[in-house]
Amino acid sequence: MFSKLISRNSKRNRKENRLFFGSLVIPVIAFYMLLSLSRQDVMIFLEKLESDAVSKLLSMIPVFYGLALFILFFLIYYASKYQLERRRHEFGVYLMLGMRRIKLFLLLIAEDFRSSIVSLAIGLPSAALLSELVSLITARLVGIGIINHQISFSFHALLGTAAGFLLIKFAAFLILSGKISRQEIGSLLVDTPDGTKKQLPSFFYALAALSGICCLAAAYFRAISGIAWYRNTQMGLTILLGLTGTLLFFWGLRSAIGLAAALSCSRRRLHAFNFRQIQETVMYRSNMLAVCSLLILAALCCFGAGIAISRFYGSGTPHVIDYSFQDPENMGSSAGIRNALNDSGLNDCFQNLFEIRLGHPHAPDDMDGVFRMDALMSALREAPASDSRDVLLNNLSYADYPYTISLSGYNALLNAAGLPLLSLDQEEAAVYMDASYVSQEGLRLLNTILQTRPEAVLSGHTCVLTGPVQTTNLVADRSITLSFALIIPDDVFDSLTSGSHSVYLNGILAEELTAHASLLSAITDMNDRLDAEHIPYESYLKNMGRQLFYMVAASYITIYLAIIFLIIANTVIGTGFLMSQRKSGRRYRTLIRLGADHETLCRCARKQIHWYFGIPVVAAAVSSLFGVRALLGGILSYKAKNSLNEMMLISAIVIAVLIVVEWIYIAAVKRSSDHYLLKLTVPMREE
Amino acid sequence: MEPILTIEALTKYYGKGANQTKALNGITFQVMPGEFLGIMGSSGSGKSTLLNCVATVISPTGGRMTMNGKQVQSLKGAALADYRGKELGYLFQNFELLDNMTARENILLPLSLHDMPEKESRQRLKQLSSYLEIEDILDKFPSQMSGGQKQRVAAARALILNPRIILADEPTGALDSKNAKVLMEKLNGLNQDTNATILMVTHNSDAASYCSRILFIQDGVIFHELRRDIPVETKQDFYERILKVTAQLGGGSANVL
Repeated sequence: MFSKLISRNSKRNRKENRLFFGSLVIPVIAFYMLLSLSRQDVMIFLEKLESDAVSKLLSMIPVFYGLALFILFFLIYYASKYQLERRRHEFGVYLMLGMRRIKLFLLLIAEDFRSSIVSLAIGLPSAALLSELVSLITARLVGIGIINHQISFSFHALLGTAAGFLLIKFAAFLILSGKISRQEIGSLLVDTPDGTKKQLPSFFYALAALSGICCLAAAYFRAISGIAWYRNTQMGLTILLGLTGTLLFFWGLRSAIGLAAALSCSRRRLHAFNFRQIQETVMYRSNMLAVCSLLILAALCCFGAGIAISRFYGSGTPHVIDYSFQDPENMGSSAGIRNALNDSGLNDCFQNLFEIRLGHPHAPDDMDGVFRMDALMSALREAPASDSRDVLLNNLSYADYPYTISLSGYNALLNAAGLPLLSLDQEEAAVYMDASYVSQEGLRLLNTILQTRPEAVLSGHTCVLTGPVQTTNLVADRSITLSFALIIPDDVFDSLTSGSHSVYLNGILAEELTAHASLLSAITDMNDRLDAEHIPYESYLKNMGRQLFYMVAASYITIYLAIIFLIIANTVIGTGFLMSQRKSGRRYRTLIRLGADHETLCRCARKQIHWYFGIPVVAAAVSSLFGVRALLGGILSYKAKNSLNEMMLISAIVIAVLIVVEWIYIAAVKRSSDHYLLKLTVPMREE
Repeated sequence: MEPILTIEALTKYYGKGANQTKALNGITFQVMPGEFLGIMGSSGSGKSTLLNCVATVISPTGGRMTMNGKQVQSLKGAALADYRGKELGYLFQNFELLDNMTARENILLPLSLHDMPEKESRQRLKQLSSYLEIEDILDKFPSQMSGGQKQRVAAARALILNPRIILADEPTGALDSKNAKVLMEKLNGLNQDTNATILMVTHNSDAASYCSRILFIQDGVIFHELRRDIPVETKQDFYERILKVTAQLGGGSANVL
């Protein structure tokens, strides 16, 4: 009999509450995705290239798993709370009929265990499937190819998921059932709404709302102006201001809603009733709404940051060179490498092999003052004040012993990149700066100054600096960058460096090699062949691997967190509404007696649902306008920040995701609400 | 004079076969305009079922209910909601005020349910609150009111749309004797002064003595009726007659005077 009751109740719970049952499946998927990360194709691929970084990331997974357990505990707590709250009356009846509390507790545990097993049974295969899909899609997106695809199923992840899920479910359940079992039977049997609570004069609430808005404005200002990014303490203060502002704003919001209720226009059906219900919610759950709003904000920021990172990270400079070689035994010549390539027959694999020579000007005595560009610096100082100008002034003040690059090598590079070649007189020097050291605005400023052909002195020779500033990468290794260098004619280069220079042999893979496979797999194959011949090399793949690692790690984690935050916030809001609706059941019954039909009640409840979701979501959306901007401003490169259209696209994607998630939740809550109101209306009439 | 409400052979059965309970077993009566009709009976006699049938909270098994020429059972959708809101005013035993709304908002609630123009109702709110002496508490929440005040606010809510008939379900059930007396005098005053029609279920003999006619129900049938001989019979005399009937209710129809 007891087991029959358990089975029936458990089945009924799942049937009546699909949304919240669905919310239980989500942690299962989330845990599995996290724990099986090391089995994803991208990670396996990256582990070969960036084994240290990947190992570090994977060693962080237990910490991240702990964090996910903690965060998802709240999701389970609220989903279970709603399940138990809606059955209060039933528990009261069990106790009235003489069921012992321990037996009730066992009944609930057993029911819960059954639901948990069903959640796992649905969640784990879905998670495995999803993980497989993500693995394939990311592999396809980054161009690894799916030939070497490995099944991402992990038994370890499966066990970890089941253990973690059952652990937090049990913990949440212990707390909740403890709370329920401590209540008197009388209070279990009767649903009492929160009712009116002693209120402070509305002046205080209005003041709180106003102070909240001021705190938020201060936080936004600090975040956008960049003050928050100076130091950790500044960031802490900004976050504290934001949190306090949100809590105060939500606490004070009741004054505005009270005013709206008082000014109610009775032309609209149940306007006053709706506002009083919303006001009650805001009064009793202002902190909950504030926390949900913050969670949605965090989700939006994570989404924005995640998508932006995956879109922009390392995409600042175009890719030209596939390979760079340098002979470790004779850095000043590429002959050794050329011979090795010839001997191994790999020479034909490259459509283009060219040298880049670079070195410091010969300075026998003092390295300071080898290079001076007073005219350019004074022109910069006279330029209108801006951040870019100050950054340039600061960076260029250190450029007193720059690298020089031979013109022929650089032109070969430009040729390979399909860019117009440089032509320099004996007295001319072209400015080279790596793109990561200068913003678009800085480049424009510098190019304007270079048009005036300012004079400079290099190792005692007077020369004219010319533009536009060159930014094409010199070698395949993106970790080798030059903040400032001069491109000079070959004979000047030879005389200034006196033969002490480095030579890099750059190679671009033959078209036929990349035509049939992705560039990534072509480079991987070539790497294997070069490794076999013991030829030292730097390939684009390593750089790409590094970029890919940061991209995958950052975007995976941020998007993962964003989804979890969004789901938790919405589940908490949804359950909060449905619980308060149940507690207000008596009010709805009164409305029915006063002549309200099911349709009117549903419309009225839907309006409340819109408000109930709308308040925290709109607050979060407004905050995210500033939050995402500040976050992107703080973490992204100059180039990304200048891509306004891309930013707009990111915002549009984030907003679209938010709308879809909210729509799903609102629709599910409306469905539950309509169902409940129908139950209130029908049985009374059919009795 | 045409009756406001006509009930003919009304039945309400629960269960089937041997387990069938006949809560109403063929009740017939009429309510005339301006009448203050009381329905008395012991617990389980069917008086609340009768009131709930009239209020369309439950559907009867058989019989006919006609309100102002309209078949109540055939009403559906908007017409049913209109019937509940505009034709009936309902006074609950436990007031059923919405505790998160002020007295004023509670009273005006039926208006917002039935899309009524607020202007003329404001005038009626003024009259009713003045008559029921609740002007000072219009902006208070139910938790700040006494039981008597709550019931008078509930009365104002029941009357705000000027319904054809007021259904009162044990309106003094949750009140002390003093507040019960105040409420009954107000209801009686409304009946006398404005010719309001009231159908009240009660088992409080004192409350019932304000009625002009009382139907006694037992086991789902009307088995006795008392009429107050107005103006000859005093309220006290009528009360004593009611007491005699209620004292003998336990003995069934053989004992009724």
